[in-house]
Amino acid sequence: MTGGSATSAASGSRAVWLLTHLRLQRLANQMALVYNRRRGARKGRAATAGKQRNRWVVSAAVAFFMLFAYGNIARQSIINLHRALDPPGGSRFAMPSGALTEAMTRGLAMEWSLLFVVAILGALATRELAQPDWDLEWLVTLPMRMPLLLWSRLMERAIANLIGLVTLLPAGTLMAWISGYRWTAPLVGAVGIIPLLLLAALFRTLIDTGLRMSLAPSKLRNLQAVLSVLSVLLLYLVISIGLPQPLAFVMNWAGHFPAWGCWLPPGLMVRAINAPDLPAAALFTLLLISEVGICVWIGLAVLSFQLRNGVVAAGSRETGRSAVRAGNSETASRSGVLLGSVVQRRELRLLGRDRSFLVQTLVLPVIIVFSQIIFQGRIHSSTLAGVSNATVASIAFGIAAYTLMMSAFQTLNSEGGALWLLFTVPRSIESVLREKAQLWAVLALAYPLAVFIIAVIVKRHADIELVGFAAIVLLGVPIYAAIAVALGVFGCDPLAQEVRSKLRPTYVYLYMMLAGLYTYAIYASEWWQKIVVIVLSGLLSLALWQKARDELPYLLDPAASPPARVSTSDGIIAAMMFFVVQGITLAIFMAVTHHLSGKAIVIAYSVAGASTFALFQLVYWRSKTVDIPQIFGPGMLTAVGWGIGAGLAAALAGAVYLYALRRLDLLQDVMHESASELSTNPWIFVLAVLAAPIFEEFIFRGLIFGGLRRSLDALPAIVASAAVFAIVHPPASMIPVFGLGLCAALAFDRTKMLLAPMIAHAIYNAVVLALQVRM
Amino acid sequence: MIEFLELSKSYGTFRALAPLTLTVPTGEMFGFLGPNGAGKTTTIRMMMSILVPSGGSVRIAGLDCHRDAAEVKRQVGYLPDSPIFYDYLRGREILQFIGEMHGLTRAESSVRAQRLMSELALDQVAEEFAVNYSMGMKKKLGLACALIHEPSVLILDEPTNGLDPRASREVQQRLRASADQGTTIFLSTHILEMAERLCSRIGIIHRGELVATGSPQELKEKVTSGGTLEEVFMAVTAESEDV
Repeated sequence: MTGGSATSAASGSRAVWLLTHLRLQRLANQMALVYNRRRGARKGRAATAGKQRNRWVVSAAVAFFMLFAYGNIARQSIINLHRALDPPGGSRFAMPSGALTEAMTRGLAMEWSLLFVVAILGALATRELAQPDWDLEWLVTLPMRMPLLLWSRLMERAIANLIGLVTLLPAGTLMAWISGYRWTAPLVGAVGIIPLLLLAALFRTLIDTGLRMSLAPSKLRNLQAVLSVLSVLLLYLVISIGLPQPLAFVMNWAGHFPAWGCWLPPGLMVRAINAPDLPAAALFTLLLISEVGICVWIGLAVLSFQLRNGVVAAGSRETGRSAVRAGNSETASRSGVLLGSVVQRRELRLLGRDRSFLVQTLVLPVIIVFSQIIFQGRIHSSTLAGVSNATVASIAFGIAAYTLMMSAFQTLNSEGGALWLLFTVPRSIESVLREKAQLWAVLALAYPLAVFIIAVIVKRHADIELVGFAAIVLLGVPIYAAIAVALGVFGCDPLAQEVRSKLRPTYVYLYMMLAGLYTYAIYASEWWQKIVVIVLSGLLSLALWQKARDELPYLLDPAASPPARVSTSDGIIAAMMFFVVQGITLAIFMAVTHHLSGKAIVIAYSVAGASTFALFQLVYWRSKTVDIPQIFGPGMLTAVGWGIGAGLAAALAGAVYLYALRRLDLLQDVMHESASELSTNPWIFVLAVLAAPIFEEFIFRGLIFGGLRRSLDALPAIVASAAVFAIVHPPASMIPVFGLGLCAALAFDRTKMLLAPMIAHAIYNAVVLALQVRM
Repeated sequence: MIEFLELSKSYGTFRALAPLTLTVPTGEMFGFLGPNGAGKTTTIRMMMSILVPSGGSVRIAGLDCHRDAAEVKRQVGYLPDSPIFYDYLRGREILQFIGEMHGLTRAESSVRAQRLMSELALDQVAEEFAVNYSMGMKKKLGLACALIHEPSVLILDEPTNGLDPRASREVQQRLRASADQGTTIFLSTHILEMAERLCSRIGIIHRGELVATGSPQELKEKVTSGGTLEEVFMAVTAESEDV
């Protein structure tokens, strides 16, 4: 018996340690998953997360960065409070030192009280609350008495409260530093925050246990959503104290923080660390410990009371209480008006019921964008009417882009484990995704519309610039809805167990970067630059959509990937490579010969074209790509015929354009320049009639048009490829080159041989150049 | 009719399914047996185009399950091993959604959903969120989803897993009746008595390889000369290589 009791006595502290260890191990595994996600590792069937080489390095770096960032905020907070609350005299950037004034103590007590609430809310708002499984349900099956179990739970939650640690530890260290501690400051800070972390764990446990016992799971998830927004807002509030320009009302609170607030645990901690002498420090510490002790004692009693009937509430499953009412009235009343498709209606219904989904998709974007604006100090309420049109447009697009990131980007994740249902119906996943993209585009359009309407009301007039910006933004939203859904196919892991690994950060960043690029359409000064950005974004959305569509049949397969096919994105990459290599070769020529000769241009062009051509053939050959565009094929005579016909048609249009320009006396200096250059540089003819058709046709017709044609009908593919072809040319020649793009694409579509558009291109270039020289 | 033509699947170097050639004629109830991890679910998932074959193909009613995935699903009803449903949707709404996705009108889908839910004794919980269903209820809701468009082929992964004895018997009777009306049924199970009672033919798969096929009677005579189906199963899935 003695042996038995000795084991059970030892198991007390051991249980606490085991639980804490388990929790920390889980945290470490989560981090490893987040930072070590490689495609290869994910695709495997094994449960291990692949290589773990850099796990600690990365985790340590992230932890260090977070501590540094929060430390910096804590430092600036103290400086700001010092400036606002203490009598003037010190320098602008001075930190207080030694014993603090009463006003400063109160200010800091206010800041610490806010930090304390963040530590509770932040921990409470994690997804744990929203999950249907509750770890206490299996913890009670362990051979432990309830009080011990609750104690272990408090301890592990106090220690493994990441949000609490990251926010409190730097602030505590700094607090100790200004109180005169030097190298022991981190230690004093760490010891000082222990009672607060314990208390935070207690409140968190009381709240989540109470909620678990009284609310249905679906309500819990909704509450978690609200809590997460609240905790973010509160965190912003705390951070705002440490901004170079702190929010006035928060500083006002700090000045009017009640005296009794300093006798609560956060305030007592400030007093204990900043005590003038040892007896005072001991007194405050004793007070702090007894307050926390009493709270924990009462809290544990309340917890035991909460759990008196077991750890599972009787009514935790939604029952059919409202079955009859909900069932009949709903079908009857809703059958009248039907908006959208089946999928869209279901999505809207989920949006109406799932607060967390609603908050995440429609509320959070607004909060994020506006808090960024406020923190950057870009808008002050006094000058709302003076906000520039470009800023209005970028805010409008910003909110829409965030909304799409939270919604359209995550379409697959919102299906989650129920994705299999879509595999049982006679619909392609692509068609379902397309309907979702449409729905989210419409929903996301509401924000920019609202922003522009507000702007017009505030400014009391709408100028043409604002209308133009509105058009750019409203055009961008559907484009980015498609981009978001397509990238989401790669960026989501709907079957991931861990919430944090449901999203692959690389694709989120890629989406944000692309959305950022679109704002160039707002800020660019020339109209044609804006058009280039819009057309390229549109093309990109098509290209990404195509890649995503190829991937969809392989979505739930952990091992297989789609066979290589020529795609629009290949064409975009080829076009970029073509231009970059050309630029580099020219730069080398210039460095060697110190002047730009026609010969150099032709050689640079040919080198770029030939290397792009060769590289893509090599890549296609290596990856056993199907449907590579061919130059020759059976029925070459027809191809030659199509080529000549298309070339003459395009040349005729080009000639009319040149003639019109001449008659209208437009762009004459540009024309003169190029004509004089041509007559002195016969090499340009070689380039235009021989090299350009071969390389440009491979890229623009072979890859881009060919790729587009795979997912589009002939007409839209022809127009889109011609638009891209046009915008990479100088503005003066965009219109006739667009015509050439149409003719050449048509010829290629009919003959399936690159020979046809190559001939057309050569004829067009020859005719237009000859006309230019003659004119 | 379901035709497997050299269908195979590998995950990297791990061979989950060796080339499988098998035909399940129209109206047959075929039982797919095998130890845990033998490749049953992998095979079924390839039929539903959830997984992509590494080699060969599987055809249902003459259509390739990978290339003509959408068309195939007009004919097929599928019940997964452990069905997961959408949050915040009631059982009735999910069933209605699946019906409409199969092209039924709203009214028609609603009528069929109502009927199926009462037939499967789900009407008491029809207005509850399906995520809160017990395992057995989820399985029944999954079965209702598989049946709502009256498919000619049923693919069922452990159909009676998690059901209480009464529900299990009702489901089995229902399946037998469907097969008698000409529905082709391909089901995987661990329950040998059920396979023996229901299926006209059985295939036993072990380590990704089909090691035995035939009617329960044939297998018993051929493998163990008159033993039980359990003995057959033990014999063909024994770990020694020479079986």
